[in-house]
Amino acid sequence: MTSPGRPRRKATVRVGVALAALLATLVLAACGSGIEGPVTVTVSKVALEKKASGDLVISNWPLYIDKKTVPNFEKATGVSVEYKEDINSNEEFFNKVQPQLTNGESGGRSIMVLADYMVAKMIKLGYLEELNHAALPEVKANLAKNLRHVPFDPERQYSVPWQSGMTGIIVNKDKAPDVHSICDLFNPKYKGKVDLLNEVRETVPLVMKCEGVDPEQATEADWMKAIEKIKGAVSDGQISRFTGNDYAQDLTSGNAVAVMGWSGDAVQLQADNPNLEWRMPTEGCMLWSEDMIIPVGAPNPTAAEAFMNYVYKPEVQANIAAYVNYVTPVEHVQEVLKKTEPEVAENDLIFPSAAFTKNCSPTPTLEGNEEKNVLKAFDEVLNG
Amino acid sequence: MIDAIRRRIPAYLLLAPGTLWLVIFFVIPLYFMAKLSLDTEIPGTLHYQFNWHWANYKEALELYDTQFFRSFFYAAVATLLCLVIAYPLAYVIAFKAGKWRNLMLFGVVAPFFTTYLIRTLAWKTILADESPVTEILHAIGLAPSGHILYTGFAVIAGITYNFLPFMVLPLYASLERIDVRVLEASKDLYASAPSTFLKVTFPLSLPGVVAGTLLTFIPAVGDYVNAEFLGGASNSMIGNVIQRLYLTQSNYSSAAALSFVLMAVIMVVVIIYIRVAGSEALMGQEAV
Repeated sequence: MTSPGRPRRKATVRVGVALAALLATLVLAACGSGIEGPVTVTVSKVALEKKASGDLVISNWPLYIDKKTVPNFEKATGVSVEYKEDINSNEEFFNKVQPQLTNGESGGRSIMVLADYMVAKMIKLGYLEELNHAALPEVKANLAKNLRHVPFDPERQYSVPWQSGMTGIIVNKDKAPDVHSICDLFNPKYKGKVDLLNEVRETVPLVMKCEGVDPEQATEADWMKAIEKIKGAVSDGQISRFTGNDYAQDLTSGNAVAVMGWSGDAVQLQADNPNLEWRMPTEGCMLWSEDMIIPVGAPNPTAAEAFMNYVYKPEVQANIAAYVNYVTPVEHVQEVLKKTEPEVAENDLIFPSAAFTKNCSPTPTLEGNEEKNVLKAFDEVLNG
Repeated sequence: MIDAIRRRIPAYLLLAPGTLWLVIFFVIPLYFMAKLSLDTEIPGTLHYQFNWHWANYKEALELYDTQFFRSFFYAAVATLLCLVIAYPLAYVIAFKAGKWRNLMLFGVVAPFFTTYLIRTLAWKTILADESPVTEILHAIGLAPSGHILYTGFAVIAGITYNFLPFMVLPLYASLERIDVRVLEASKDLYASAPSTFLKVTFPLSLPGVVAGTLLTFIPAVGDYVNAEFLGGASNSMIGNVIQRLYLTQSNYSSAAALSFVLMAVIMVVVIIYIRVAGSEALMGQEAV
């Protein structure tokens, strides 16, 4: 073993290790995790060019726009749009892009559409560009009055609503005729046939409503109590599972007969299966909005604002509203639709009256430690 | 001696691509994960700082022990089921299939032509509440609640189905290698068919059994697709927990810690298994 060749071999190994280490450092420097270490992001206001042009990348949820709007926008402005349907969950999408945003990069996207609470969080983290209202006259003219001043963005400096909607219950009329309230979802008659949403800010407040607690006044203890109730129902086998949009499949295949669900989905589901129906829970619903935002480092913000402005033209928005069936945040759309598609204009789920939504609550924005504790407790339920 | 080194150089060069691959895609990420698992978040910033926070490990173990046990239980049951289903199949392919052998092997591999995800989603239709399969199982008393989808049973069924080829192929490879003359000798020595199987065939196939069970068990423990689509509210496996920690709670440290614990536990289980079963398997190989 003490042969003269031995040290040399070791040397070769050492060189090899050193080379590998060198390479490793290079790779590390190249990727940079983005999660570790503080990075400061400078938020800037959108600087407008004279005319929108070039390329525009938009990230939105699936089936959240009609087929004509994007091509029409391209024709009207000459901007070339890459419209991606790559958002399936607020949290998952946020965590996917967060390492880039923290480095001040948008991953090529110029518009993202995310829920109010996520937008609130991103404003606080400094991940959004400030909008230049000079390029948004249609938004200024047509944004619904009740959405103009929201707590997380009082002057709409960062966000423009894309669509709003209601979270209530969707039932199979034949198999769950007597489910009219959130409390009814806990009726043992429907054991194992009930899905709840995996969105903590909608599911838990709805259960609070069943408990008689107003989500807007709720304390952390109220949140925990509602989560306990859900946990109990899971271990009793009452709740089959927690879903996103995929409750639709459970309803159509008969795995579930009553679920928590979104108003626009229900309108689309009903068209295929008249037995399914969205019901306003007797306790009231949850109201939410999803907003268009411009992330930091977004290329071509001028085109992004041009698009935001374009979809706020009532005749453009009418096409979107008629296709997606959610609650439109743009005024004067109902007038347009009354002429073109009167049955859409009459639909309570698309144009809900104040009386219809009188018991509904806005989706709460959780913060700080309360958010941490509530998310943790709810995730424990999701993890079974 | 210099000659000896020269002779080694090609070996090093041949190893280089593999080593490089391993370093870049395994060792380096592993280092990052280890570091991340000892980080804490600077509150409200989503930025993490390294401070030897071992409590991440303690918390991971305390909070998610149920899902840990469940993962190992599901994986173990699925592995056993795979073995029971795959062994006769591999046996037939190796010894009885004749001209059908290639076709049968193709049959085993054919599902891979469709993606894992789609195959798992297909089971949702098969096991749905109003599907004929569920109704028949209900009628003969195997599904008393009339409910299979979104239960542990569905998850185990999904894992068993998805990992079956990983059991069949190594079993087939080791069975196929058996010299038929050994089996003939056993017959000549008046051993009955069952005792030939128990004393000759099975011991000789042990390397395949060990390889197959490892190839099935290890990925099955960390699997999350089956529990995600076929499991209900009380069937999450550890993979689902890690996914949610990372993607919904932005709790990167706990997710990393949990991954390390999972890796360590699997390693211990596998080492014990190889010690016990593997040594015998090797002896079996020597007997050839």
